[in-house]
Amino acid sequence: MLVFAISDKGGTGRSVTSSNIVYRRALQGSDVCYLDFDFGSPTAGAIFSVSSVARGTAQGGMHRYFEGRLADPHRIDVWVESDREGLRGKPPGAGQMVLFPGDEGGGEFSTVSEEMLRRCVRLFSRLEEEFDLCLVDLSAGRSFAAQMALAATARLPGVPFRWLVFHRWTRQHIIAAHGLVRGRQGLLAAGVEHGHDEENLADHIRFVRTAVLEPDAAELEGLRETQKAWLHECDRELRELARKYGVGRTAMLGKIPLDPVLQWREQLISDEDVLSSQIANAETVAAFDDLAKKIVDDSAWEAL
Amino acid sequence: MTPAQAVFGEVEAERRVASAPLSHVSIELGHLYMEDFQAGPDRLREQFRQVAPWAETMRRSWQARVPGGRARVSTCFLIDDYFSRFSTPAELVPAVLEAAAECDLTIDYLARESACAETDGVKLARLVEDRLVTDPPAGTNGSRPPVTETGWLCNGARSPYGGAVQAMESARAWEPPAQNAKRRHSIFVDVELWDSDSRGRTWSCPFLAAVWQLLRLGLIRNDGELPVRPVPGGPPFPSDWEELPAIVQLNPAAAPFSAYSTMSVLSSRFLPVELAVRTILSQVFVDAEVLRQVAGRSAGEGVPLPDELVDRISYVFLGA
Amino acid sequence: MLLMGEVRTGLLQNSGEIPESLCQAVLGLLSGERVRVSRRPIMYAVSPDQLTGVDCRLASASRARVRGVGTVLSRASVTGGRVLQGSSHIRVVRAGSDHRLSWSHYLARPGVVEVFGKVRVPDLVEGFAESGAWNDCLDLGSVSERFMDAVQGSPLLDRKAPFKSARTRLRWVAVSAEREPGHEPGHEPGHEPGQEGPGIRFVLGRDRVRTLRLVLPGGLTPGVVDFCEDLALHDWLLTTLQVIFERAGVGTATRAEVTARLAPAVDHLLHLWMPAARLDDEFTPFWERLERRPGFSRQWLSLVARVRDQIAVNTLALLREAGGW
Repeated sequence: MLVFAISDKGGTGRSVTSSNIVYRRALQGSDVCYLDFDFGSPTAGAIFSVSSVARGTAQGGMHRYFEGRLADPHRIDVWVESDREGLRGKPPGAGQMVLFPGDEGGGEFSTVSEEMLRRCVRLFSRLEEEFDLCLVDLSAGRSFAAQMALAATARLPGVPFRWLVFHRWTRQHIIAAHGLVRGRQGLLAAGVEHGHDEENLADHIRFVRTAVLEPDAAELEGLRETQKAWLHECDRELRELARKYGVGRTAMLGKIPLDPVLQWREQLISDEDVLSSQIANAETVAAFDDLAKKIVDDSAWEAL
Repeated sequence: MTPAQAVFGEVEAERRVASAPLSHVSIELGHLYMEDFQAGPDRLREQFRQVAPWAETMRRSWQARVPGGRARVSTCFLIDDYFSRFSTPAELVPAVLEAAAECDLTIDYLARESACAETDGVKLARLVEDRLVTDPPAGTNGSRPPVTETGWLCNGARSPYGGAVQAMESARAWEPPAQNAKRRHSIFVDVELWDSDSRGRTWSCPFLAAVWQLLRLGLIRNDGELPVRPVPGGPPFPSDWEELPAIVQLNPAAAPFSAYSTMSVLSSRFLPVELAVRTILSQVFVDAEVLRQVAGRSAGEGVPLPDELVDRISYVFLGA
Repeated sequence: MLLMGEVRTGLLQNSGEIPESLCQAVLGLLSGERVRVSRRPIMYAVSPDQLTGVDCRLASASRARVRGVGTVLSRASVTGGRVLQGSSHIRVVRAGSDHRLSWSHYLARPGVVEVFGKVRVPDLVEGFAESGAWNDCLDLGSVSERFMDAVQGSPLLDRKAPFKSARTRLRWVAVSAEREPGHEPGHEPGHEPGQEGPGIRFVLGRDRVRTLRLVLPGGLTPGVVDFCEDLALHDWLLTTLQVIFERAGVGTATRAEVTARLAPAVDHLLHLWMPAARLDDEFTPFWERLERRPGFSRQWLSLVARVRDQIAVNTLALLREAGGW
């Protein structure tokens, strides 16, 4: 299955969340891979703590592959090459976890040529043979990468795909997320142009809320009553807005609570981070785990 | 007791390839387009008058080469019914035969150009297109699909053009195209194989001419069978081109249509077309089994053939 | 001088095994040319030969620049309606000239790559066996994969494979123990593989790469390609079954889960093991040697036994739970 991670605005935690989904899915026993399609900023290596490719690979990654300069993009077995003690060595029962980084110094492309599209179709089709889940991290906003993903999936009718649209729980982000999907030159419009059926495509798009602050959260106990009331009111307004823009509960696949670890150190959160060093919250890991399950759970993707 | 030998074979697992009857040389006496036809019967007569001595020379030279002088020489004539349709076989064919006879030429076989595109449900042009193996520019290591521009074929590396570039990457300067087998300087040739519109694909004249050469060399097979066999015929000729067989055998005593080698006598206006034909033919992969058959038989007859197809083809270009 | 090739093997992307008629359709990569099929002892269908032109460096252990020009011969095949292989190979010969000739010269020699200049066979043998993807040298594996992709992309396949699996890569090179006619004297003795006796060396590498070096007793017969494809097929079967067994979670997952995870192996793989089924007799000794060490069939049979035992034990346990005995 191909899963595309996209957001309209930057700073949603799209990359770190989707990396963690991939990690959780691998721990749950699936063979997974992560493709860095954020061509303008190929830094996925950092999240997986593979320092040799923290700013992209020098051995020929996504960029060179799409330019047709190599047959296979550089692949990194995270269980083998990660610098983090806790990630090295595949736990028993876990699946493969492979990272396909972009090129060091790689930039956004100026267009999607037919050749690039064919290479994309070939890549997706080969990876789908090997992996249960291929997560493709697209950049923020409308990009050639997103256009290529839409066009390639239209040419691979037998390959299941799903889209995750990441947004923060704010007014601006809700409106932007809606625009990215349904607006002019949004995913649906562009998808139809490339041969997708609009309704079918819409059924394969879900939203993920990030950095969510729950008004009832334990951390907020110390707030004054007036502050709490105001927070509740804001949350209610946002819910109303989200519903109006089709970004409400039914279209939501999951939400990730606000967690300082994700804000300051974009990385995979291991069970150890929660249990021994306690730098991350158990709720965050639970949310990743839940998302990792829902991504492949057909009942969470029934037509709206 | 010696160990028993088991022999097991499966019909579907074996490959059989029919062999074609072959002459020594196939001489093309002419190629008739609408413009020639419109120029009137004198144009045709003039053409045959010029061709006759060359055909005779070719015949003699093969008679001298073949032991016992028993050279098998067949002649053919191609009429375009693909790019434009004009007249009818009933009207045109007798006129062509008559003009040839006046110059002491016998046309053994008459072919329709559209047969090179498709004949009896066999898409010959498509068959040949599938067998193009593109001439690789230096540096082609197999890691990427061959560089092709759909519908075009060249003899080297094209000038790089726009394509996708990365943001903040410096733009590329113009570079010349290059011929692969160049001797210091290039003669770069890029041939259009076909174009298409709402009615479908139209093959180019050089591409059909390449198919025509392969047919005359007896090198095309479809599922191991010969795709076209000449059909004996004579007057009266039908009034519709569709009813005329792809290749009609007009002379019952003719040597086989296909041959070890071909010779075409053409107006020099066809020079660029034939350069294109050779560009195409030098990139067509002919079934190795068929090549073996032909080579074996020619060697058996004491007339060894050059390995390369394009060396089996010769021309005489006539001035206007 | 030598033959070299690369075989890539993977699971055909279809829910079930495909029948002969479908094999014919998906392997019909060349119009006007039949797909050959043999049915005994297992269905095997092979596409018509395909050619790809190359003009590039050949890997050499000494890093000497060796340029070769010619065509790669490839084919795709499906065994048991289930396992897909893409196979490409070349015969390397010394060029008769010091510059590149017209393309028709090379097309008249399908599957031959002519190398320029002074070339030492052992240098090429070592270089090819070691070469990775990251250089500009001849890449037969990618050629093979493209023909696999063409088959996997067929709209006639439903793409619902019963399990995920990685393609394996077998890179092979074969030389003859016989002296070549016209063998040039002056090659230092002991370095020409032609002076070794017949033999086989099979190495499991990283990233699912396997290398195979063969010294053939006779000439370089085309049967060697069949042998390498057969070995690649069985190596893939073994590798894939191992992964399925490892992932079944024996001892940690529930009995029902273990059984469910092993089921695809039973349904789709176990019956495909038939080493040396279609090979020329001259290659049987090579298989026999591999059966002694590393012992392909021994390992396979032991794995198969474990799969069956697991399923039997789990089924019994589940029955006991269900029936209370």
